[in-house]
Amino acid sequence: MILELDQVTVTFSTGPPLRRRALHAMRDVSLHVGEGETLGLVGESGSGKTTTGRVALGLRRPTSGTVSFEGRPFGRRRRELAGRMQAVLQHPHWSLNPRMRVGRSVAEPLVVLGRAERGEVREMLEQVGLEAELADRYPHELSGGQRQRVSIARALITRPGFIVFDEAVSALDVSVQVQILNLIKDLQADFGFSALFISHDLGAVRYVADRIAVMRGGEVVETADTETFYTSPAHDYSKQLLRAL
Amino acid sequence: MRRPLDLLSKGGLGCLLALVAFALGSTVDLAGDPDAIVGPRLAPPGPEWWMGTDNLGRSMLPRVMEGVGTTLLLSCTAVLLTAAVSAAFGILAGYRGGYLNEVVLRLVEVLYSFPAIVLAVLVAAVLGPGQFAALASIVLVTIPLMTRLVRAAAVGVSQRDYVTAAVISGARLPRILGRHVLPNVAGTIAVQGTYALSVGISVEGGLSFLGFGVQPPQASLGVLIRQGGSYMIAAPWLIIGPGTVLVVAILAINVFGDGLRDRLEPRETRSLT
Repeated sequence: MILELDQVTVTFSTGPPLRRRALHAMRDVSLHVGEGETLGLVGESGSGKTTTGRVALGLRRPTSGTVSFEGRPFGRRRRELAGRMQAVLQHPHWSLNPRMRVGRSVAEPLVVLGRAERGEVREMLEQVGLEAELADRYPHELSGGQRQRVSIARALITRPGFIVFDEAVSALDVSVQVQILNLIKDLQADFGFSALFISHDLGAVRYVADRIAVMRGGEVVETADTETFYTSPAHDYSKQLLRAL
Repeated sequence: MRRPLDLLSKGGLGCLLALVAFALGSTVDLAGDPDAIVGPRLAPPGPEWWMGTDNLGRSMLPRVMEGVGTTLLLSCTAVLLTAAVSAAFGILAGYRGGYLNEVVLRLVEVLYSFPAIVLAVLVAAVLGPGQFAALASIVLVTIPLMTRLVRAAAVGVSQRDYVTAAVISGARLPRILGRHVLPNVAGTIAVQGTYALSVGISVEGGLSFLGFGVQPPQASLGVLIRQGGSYMIAAPWLIIGPGTVLVVAILAINVFGDGLRDRLEPRETRSLT
């Protein structure tokens, strides 16, 4: 078990003072991601998918409940997890710092850990199907698909055991989406990382996930193997989602 | 992403560079010593003194050259200070949010609530009239707007995925602010810097005009306009020269700033002054 969320609740308070309202972004969510496994997390906007991703990455502390990584609960300091978990995020347009050369962006997770970069960047760019020469370019010279490949290279460079993909292909053209999804599957076979694949796109999730969890209104309503889920969903909401597909 | 500056702002930049060259001329006494008495008092412009002479018989041309230099140097120094302070607080407040953000915003709002010239006179009263008071006034007058806009830009940048990715990778605060946030709000700082420069020139002018800024015999645009004001009917060239230069300088800076803004941050920030 690489990542385990146990009874995690996240509450935001919103509204003006004196009329504060509590908003449950996550309510008693229990999920786990096994070694080498990809868990797909689906649900509509506002269902708590992204909050779940942020909690899994240690960016947000749960209001209650525990999160364990590699069998140990998260420590006090976020930095203890650095390099061991990474993320590929939503917007290809903002995923890379426009003022940094691509190579520097890819090398950043290594540099932050104080490790010297010895050719890993070029190697990694080739692994994700890009030319090593792109390292000297700036992000605005790249296409959306190329930028998302660079994000994947940046996430993989520290060889993390766990990667969160948060709507990683949603903003791309359909044909590019398929290429990126294939790339993720190939890389997973090579590097053996576990993944949490968050998306509202049921088609994309089916393609990469081993198991699927469905969220609605901050709660997990169903967790099932991908095949079981797509052939005979148990929960009404899952059926509804699949009919809409 | 990169568009060339349009013709108008290129003109503004050209004007500004010409003024700087004009001011540099006074450091080598190109048109003579600004304090030397060279001719009759209040003589109109002529071949020996192109901009006329003042009430003491000093040639106006070297005095205006010195005046532009003093004003530009004071304003530029002040704006650099403002940029450093505003960038530091704006970026930190924008990235961190929370308590620090509130404190910075409230402080800035207090400063912002004073009209520029009132704040400048207050500073001069506390520090005593002089160049240092003018410098401090310009800094205090320009800090609020620049800090607010840098903060707003930093809030936007902080939410972008590359900042989140850096946090996930374990980057520390100095790296996140220095490598990711600062370079991406630098455009805002540059654009606001030009606007702050034009505000600075007018604050120096106003304060020295009131007699609380640069002190005679040193010339600044404000000092020259104050002296020329007394002879406006008898010798209008005393006020027309420095007045024109002041207007041209502010206009040129603003036009250049607009061009810079359109190029560096389309649709992102607008000046409020």
